[in-house]
Amino acid sequence: MRFLAFLIRRLIGIAAVMIGVSVITFAISHVIPADPAVAALGDHATDEQIAAFRAEYKLDRPLPEQYLTYVNDLLHGDLGRSIRTRRSVADDLADSFPATFELSFTALLVSIVVGIPAGIWSAISRGRLPDVVVRVLALAGGSIPVFWLGLIVIGLGYYQLGWFPGGGRIDAFVAPPPLRTGLYVVDSLVAGDVEALRSSLIHLVLPALTLGYFSTAVITRMTRSSMLEVLGQDYMRTAEAKGLRERTVVLRHGLRNALIPTVTIIGLTFGSLLSGAVLTETIFSWPGLGRYATASAVSLDFPAVLGVTLLAAVVYPVANLVVDVAYYWLDPRIQRG
Amino acid sequence: MSRHRSPILFVIALLIAAACSSATPTGGGTGAPQASGAAGTLVYYADVSDLISLDPAVAYEFSGVLLVHNAYETLVRFEGSDLSTIKAGLATSWEPKDAGSTWDITFKLKSGVKFTSGNPLTADDVVYSLQRVIKLNKSPAFLFTDIAGLKPESIKATDGSTVVVSMPKTSSPQGFLSILTFTVGGIVDSKEVKSHETSGDSGSGWLLDHSAGSGPYVIDHWTKNAEVLLKANPNYGGTKPPLSGVLVKHVPESTNQQFALEKGDADVARNLGPQQISAVQGKQGIATTQGNSLLLVYVGMNATVKPLDNVNVREALRTAIDYDGIIKELLKGNAKKVQNIVPAGLAGYNDATPFQADVNKAKSLLQQAGQTSVNLELLVPTGQAPGGVAWADLAAKLQADWAKIGVTVTIKQTAQADLLTSYRAQKGQLVMILWGPDFPDPDANVGPFTDYAAKSIAYRNGWDDKTIAQKGRDAALITDTSKRAAAYKDITEYVLHNGPYAILYQPTELFGLRSNVKGFAWNPMGWLDFAAITK
Repeated sequence: MRFLAFLIRRLIGIAAVMIGVSVITFAISHVIPADPAVAALGDHATDEQIAAFRAEYKLDRPLPEQYLTYVNDLLHGDLGRSIRTRRSVADDLADSFPATFELSFTALLVSIVVGIPAGIWSAISRGRLPDVVVRVLALAGGSIPVFWLGLIVIGLGYYQLGWFPGGGRIDAFVAPPPLRTGLYVVDSLVAGDVEALRSSLIHLVLPALTLGYFSTAVITRMTRSSMLEVLGQDYMRTAEAKGLRERTVVLRHGLRNALIPTVTIIGLTFGSLLSGAVLTETIFSWPGLGRYATASAVSLDFPAVLGVTLLAAVVYPVANLVVDVAYYWLDPRIQRG
Repeated sequence: MSRHRSPILFVIALLIAAACSSATPTGGGTGAPQASGAAGTLVYYADVSDLISLDPAVAYEFSGVLLVHNAYETLVRFEGSDLSTIKAGLATSWEPKDAGSTWDITFKLKSGVKFTSGNPLTADDVVYSLQRVIKLNKSPAFLFTDIAGLKPESIKATDGSTVVVSMPKTSSPQGFLSILTFTVGGIVDSKEVKSHETSGDSGSGWLLDHSAGSGPYVIDHWTKNAEVLLKANPNYGGTKPPLSGVLVKHVPESTNQQFALEKGDADVARNLGPQQISAVQGKQGIATTQGNSLLLVYVGMNATVKPLDNVNVREALRTAIDYDGIIKELLKGNAKKVQNIVPAGLAGYNDATPFQADVNKAKSLLQQAGQTSVNLELLVPTGQAPGGVAWADLAAKLQADWAKIGVTVTIKQTAQADLLTSYRAQKGQLVMILWGPDFPDPDANVGPFTDYAAKSIAYRNGWDDKTIAQKGRDAALITDTSKRAAAYKDITEYVLHNGPYAILYQPTELFGLRSNVKGFAWNPMGWLDFAAITK
């Protein structure tokens, strides 16, 4: 019951965030000096065409009226029509979001699988060579620009070694699996299509490594520092004094406590992966949300920009919600508390 | 924790397994001699983020036009890269006749043409296709309605193989024929399209990513933001295309295009910059080629702003610019020196280039205008200008050239949409921007550049010269090609010295190709006949 109340509170919070975000984004995208009609129709359009465009997108109405129309449409499930692609924004998001989700999720998976063990290893061998190596790599991960890293990764993995494809989600001559979730890996598993699965997995490797390096570094450093803190606790010494194996002490008694701050970071990182995939998507020709957002922003496509922003406004709190639920599982005190 | 570990491990295992299986075409072996995938397919890497629709009545973006051009045929066409001689397409004759109150063009259709579906192409299909453009009223429709002055009832079939188009006397028949060579004139299979109509959309929902034409290729599929695959049309009446398919892959990052070209995964790389072109030049298995464009990069000088209202000041600014330096140094030769308002490649092109960094002459022109120190603002877009140079670098060059004659220019760089908003409202002083004609006819440039009343470029620069505007309107209507050419020579010569423009250059397009790719001929209108290519 307590959990349910907590969940409802959080959902109300998400709704409030969305209203705030929509007002701010709407205001910003409508007060900038450039005219979306000119951006869309370009140099050659006549004044009549521009006026017709402004009427079509209701740009000729007062701003509050435009906002209320937008919200009304939104409540009816209509995100509007993109100026740039001329398609419904909802369709565009449905096309590009799964691609970004698949990439970000894989990158996060890589970060967790690599980052947490690396952090633990670094902590238990504090000051020795493995610690130094991990810390240097983590420092690099936090400071190398993604764009540069992407070019290096593609230059090595594709151009030099030829082990991985140079971009895209799937080989051009492999038919994508029938789309159910939009996640190629999941869909090809469901369809039992081995060729599509192989192709989509191998296409994920380089972009996921590129995108995941930064978050791996963050997770490694967080795990390391919280592990170091936990290792100095009295209960750890007690566990060790009981004669338990080091492995059991570290993983059973140490890790579970050390994970709480790491989980927080993982939640936040996932949000930033989703929105930070722009450069990775560009380098790896990944047809995702980041590229859609950039292209929309550049062409002043305000319905699309609003759609992307609202989606981000949902994703962040949802990621945080998942983190909070994970706390329940990790820390019994919260369940009781 | 162990409960949760297994699926993660499973995925990792799969990832590793997939990564290790270096098999099959995906990865592309090192130094593969030709592009991967189907051997008979041309793999074309390009940034096609502008792709909106593959419907000939809707497409008006470079990528859309390229693809539509290869799936549809038009009544008349230009051959190769020539844009001055109209040739037969689906029509065998197209003589314009003076019918009193209108120009009537009678098109006799070629017999025996079939669409991909197997349906025969008739006069009804032509009427349907052309009327459909007007009815849908999408981006290219103004070419029919505004430029050619057509209404749906202007297009009629008189029998199964004859179509008559009646145009108002104020429109140019020659201009309309040029428009018909463009993708908007693509003839669709009316039976097929009607069968895909939903809620009165004239089939545009279906034609967005399908084709129903008679061209050498058919749209096989379009995966949004990823690729478009064309396959050879089995019912094509002309010479069978040597390549059975064309894969246009959306690859926005040009370094990536370069890598794929070098590895042989791409046959054509569309968006290599001048530096990347020089990086791949001389590498084994790679050739580079140039294509013409019809773009002009120019500076507009607002004649309502003092002292730009003085014709000598404008001439001084034109005279001071180091055009050769811009082309040789900044653009690495990737442009043609053109100083008139009609680009090379179109009828009416005037090859006079009288201006080149003459500081003394420019100074004396300023003196004649009674100007000693001039301060002006130059509006410049952000990003890259055509030809592969940053707009900002071009602006800095102009600033330096003009400083030599005592003209101080403040550069203001804004996003192109921002810049256009000011420019359209006559709020610029000096504005650097580009222009490309809407259809391959001199009128598509002369009209906007000379006619203040058209509220296009002449208006934006506050240049209201009624005599030259009328000359431009008259020239558009001349049907005799040599008389027309003479009229345009006269007009361009006048604008060269009196107009409010400094035309900087006409950019060329650069392409990286695998050296086994033959028959690649870029048309300045932004397309390419895939059916002429072999590899």
